[in-house]
Amino acid sequence: MTGAFAQMDQGIVLRGASLVIRGTPILSDLTLALTEPRIGIVGQNGSGKTTLLRLMAGLVAPSSGSVMVDGIDPARDRKGMLSRLGILFQNPDQQILFPTVAEELAFGLRQQGHRDAETRARAALAAEGRADWADLPVSTLSQGQRQWLCLQAILLMAPRTILLDEPFAALDLPTAARLTRRLATLPQRLITISHNPAAVATCDRILWLDSGRIRADGPPGAVLPAFTAEMARLGEADADPHLPR
Amino acid sequence: MLTLTSPVETPLHRWPAGLKLALLCAATVLLFRLTTPLPLAAIATALAALHLLLGRSIAATALRQLRPLWPFLALLALWHGLTGDLAQGATIALRLITAMALANLVTMTTRLSDMLAALDRLTAPLARAGLPTRRLTLALALALRFIPVLSDRIDTIRAAWTARSPRRPGWRILIPAALAALDEADHVAESLRARGGAG
Repeated sequence: MTGAFAQMDQGIVLRGASLVIRGTPILSDLTLALTEPRIGIVGQNGSGKTTLLRLMAGLVAPSSGSVMVDGIDPARDRKGMLSRLGILFQNPDQQILFPTVAEELAFGLRQQGHRDAETRARAALAAEGRADWADLPVSTLSQGQRQWLCLQAILLMAPRTILLDEPFAALDLPTAARLTRRLATLPQRLITISHNPAAVATCDRILWLDSGRIRADGPPGAVLPAFTAEMARLGEADADPHLPR
Repeated sequence: MLTLTSPVETPLHRWPAGLKLALLCAATVLLFRLTTPLPLAAIATALAALHLLLGRSIAATALRQLRPLWPFLALLALWHGLTGDLAQGATIALRLITAMALANLVTMTTRLSDMLAALDRLTAPLARAGLPTRRLTLALALALRFIPVLSDRIDTIRAAWTARSPRRPGWRILIPAALAALDEADHVAESLRARGGAG
């Protein structure tokens, strides 16, 4: 990133951000400045990973503290967020809004004010060698193909940062490998959630989230071994004692 | 799965959506003008022949899509059997079948994006009057996308019930199905919000 672009890019900044849902604290007092090109967030089920992603995307507002993306409040300025931040939901079926592939791709572009949204969507499909997909009903696509469609819909909107919620969770091994390769080539900042340390091992920075707080924050070499060891310890503690080893 | 537009290309696919909608309107008006069974039967036969001309798979799909009509037809037969007015009963039944088959044929041979574009043009005067017509087309697209999704969810709930119960689920899945629909609505709202909202 160079020049004016880099100046505008202040990344995602959280200042004392907390989120309480019906009296239960989900995220507590998070202060972070996220500017690295590849960031991984690890944690157990229920540690608040997905909620943190939704908070950064502006899909929920913090109960206290603040969240800023390039100096803009993502929960208020939705239009401004479209070119700054895209989010890939864990379940593609909860992301896809339209009955056909071309419409799903065109929607985001239309939201950004492009009048030639449909033409662009079809051109993008053709560029990917999938021109014949344009009028396919999304219900006929496989899980991996739906996820590809969701990612493509976000990439067309060209946001500066993409948030990925467990992108590999539902994919078979070849599809996951393809997605990994694809993601590696993207110029965007990627923030990836995973409970699997291997999925984020090549990131520049790892956040370990534990009960809505940051337990560790640093390069993968420092954070992931400790995380893996702790997850193994927890697994031991919960093991059924009557089962043979 | 409910895939409304037929993947089998027919000559009708290439007709403009607006023309097909206009013809459908005119034909439906005509159907309601005819009050004796004979001309209606002739139209129904011609329509059946047209379906067969377009191909066996289209004709089979069209026949399947008429299935929701059977309860109404049974009711008609019962009522007009009791009152003895069979000609009137046949007129209404033929009219229902033909009108529904025609509408289905238009749906099957029109791509959704063409249909939405035609709807956009039709509602353009309303847009000039300041009504939010884009929301109307968005709502239509969402409905078409989520009918199959919800019917899948209901199938899953039914399967989960059947897997653990010797009895058929019946009405008991209504509440989980309704909750699933609300849940789905939350996700749709979130996905819309993530990409700039409904505006």
